[in-house]
Amino acid sequence: MIYRETGQFRTSYAEDQAIFRLREDRIGIIVILAIAWVGIPLVADEYLLRAILIPFLILSVAAIGLNLLLGYCGQISLGTGAFMAVGAYAAYNLALRLPEIPLLIDFLLAGLIAAGIGIVFGLPSLRIKGLYLAVATLALQFFADWAFLRVHWFTNYTPSGSVTAPPLDIFGWLVDTPLEKYWLCLAFACATALFAKNLVRSRIGRSWMAIRDMDIAAEIIGIRPMHAKLSAFAVSSFIAGLAGVLWAFVHLGSWEPLAFSIDMSFRLLFMVIIGGMGSILGSFLGAAFITILPIFLNQVPAMVGIQLSTAMVSHLEFMIFGTLIVLFLIWEPHGLARLWQIGKEKMRLWPFPY
Amino acid sequence: MATATVTPPREAAERSVRRARQIGEVLLAVENISLRFGGVRALSNVSFDIRRGEIRAIIGPNGAGKSSMLNVINGFYQPQEGRIIWKGRALSRMRPYDAAKGGIARTFQNIALFKGMSTLDNIMTGRILKMRASFFEQALWIGRGKSEELRERAFVERILDFLEITHIRHVPVGKLPYGLQKRVELARALAMEPELLLLDEPMAGMNLEEKEDMCRFILDVNEEFGTTVALIEHDMSVVMDISDRVVVLDYGRLLADGTPEEVRNDPAVIEAYLGVSHG
Ligand SMILES: Nc1ncnc2c1ncn2[C@@H]1O[C@H](COP(=O)(O)OP(=O)(O)OP(=O)(O)O)[C@@H](O)[C@H]1O
Ligand SMILES: [Mg+2]
Repeated sequence: MIYRETGQFRTSYAEDQAIFRLREDRIGIIVILAIAWVGIPLVADEYLLRAILIPFLILSVAAIGLNLLLGYCGQISLGTGAFMAVGAYAAYNLALRLPEIPLLIDFLLAGLIAAGIGIVFGLPSLRIKGLYLAVATLALQFFADWAFLRVHWFTNYTPSGSVTAPPLDIFGWLVDTPLEKYWLCLAFACATALFAKNLVRSRIGRSWMAIRDMDIAAEIIGIRPMHAKLSAFAVSSFIAGLAGVLWAFVHLGSWEPLAFSIDMSFRLLFMVIIGGMGSILGSFLGAAFITILPIFLNQVPAMVGIQLSTAMVSHLEFMIFGTLIVLFLIWEPHGLARLWQIGKEKMRLWPFPY
Repeated sequence: MATATVTPPREAAERSVRRARQIGEVLLAVENISLRFGGVRALSNVSFDIRRGEIRAIIGPNGAGKSSMLNVINGFYQPQEGRIIWKGRALSRMRPYDAAKGGIARTFQNIALFKGMSTLDNIMTGRILKMRASFFEQALWIGRGKSEELRERAFVERILDFLEITHIRHVPVGKLPYGLQKRVELARALAMEPELLLLDEPMAGMNLEEKEDMCRFILDVNEEFGTTVALIEHDMSVVMDISDRVVVLDYGRLLADGTPEEVRNDPAVIEAYLGVSHG
């Protein structure tokens, strides 16, 4: 019995409402945090940090953003890439045009601007659901693609349309090595996860889930659908906007409008579905899966002597995503996070099969 | 027809004396309510009132308009004609949010729980209107964000205890058997500390034991907290046993209104309703 619930009596509601109710989970998270903050920096090389861990962390943040909207509030969005783009270009323009504002404040302001756009494009959700809402958010995606490509003010009239982020100066700390960037992203990921977890175990999160599960009953206990939906759009796009800032400023450094295309929106949707809708942990699992799979496909066949072309790898990638998404949607809408939970429950009872 | 007897006769007599003292002024009145769906007249010119502290039954054959009546009362349907007088204030229409805010809670004929959430979270949603924490207090789990959660959790625990469902607090409600789901739905309504509790067939589909439990809970809620109850029920013995006054609807019209005794002896009711077997 690796996981033991028996014998751990919770003596107060505060303990019962803690994020990690089981001692094993608490120890687990401390170990993971120690590895993330201290262990990895000791061993990871530049490639691992730059090509895997930093994008993984940023995508996890974006996936948490989408998960709050889709997994918790039940509102589908195909425009997460657009919210990331809004965040990235807002931060770029703020840094460019108002250099006296500290960069970190720019980041938060960019998140707020993305939240504002999120509210506006969340308005259709008050009237339409499901597929129609998906199409409405898709419209935002195309609008953003168009605006950042064609409205040259956003890209400061650079001839190629590609822009470069200023040096990352966080209140005097110049973040320029991969390790420092990793720590910065890790800090954002931890903060976002905690923030999201607190929201979903509070009144606001419950009102989102109530809307997701049965909006009619939600209304009758005094939840206002408009507040619940628009707040979910706002928080979700704030987080997505922040992730966009990190993606642009920390991961890419310089980028083109294409960096936040529909492709990004779909990838995030895949992460949330595969990782687990309605789970913060699932957002991390989904991001990890989607970041690691292409690398795995690139390296493993080569190791066993099979030579795959780059095109083949990317085809395989999409085939695997496609299959997994169908399988998860049919059998396990709660994704990898749910599989992990089932595994834990098994461990909790093991070796007694009762 | 299944029967569930909860109160022996002598106790019932004692109760009616006590009740005469408990029942107060008119809490809610519906006046000349008419509701149509296209060509279907779900309600035609229905008027009755509900007094504070009483248990008011609404009965009638299938399709009589009972559920529609509850939907009008809590603002879910907008009647074409008539008005609602809630605590002395006349309204031409009630909105669901205002009904909730004003102290009206309800359960549904087809259970309307939040399937993906645990029993505890479902009932906690009933406390949403009592919570004031700001967004940042919730996001950072500080101040009222934390203290309210603990306070409301303690309140909800008392309800779990009262309805004898503490053992399922962490179970997702989608996994619960039907009878328990009905109980969780009642718990969620009670969590709102309503002045008026609307119950749409709270005992439908239950076995005898579950029905008796449910009757006991309804009576306890009414007596201990003074909550006014309006319930729709098909089981006549339950209705006769626990209600103070009964409204009978038939084809959307008000057929009779009175004490269980009066209604039972009303020739129109006997013909239209009691003569026909239900359940
Ligand atoms: N949303 C709606 N749209 C159209 N017709 C409706 C709607 N709701 C109710 N009706 C109709 O109104 C009439 C009364 O329905 P209602 O559900 O109020 O009956 P009821 O007395 O609760 O019946 P039951 O005992 O079967 O629950 C029925 O003819 C029904 O078809
Ligand atoms: Mg009905």
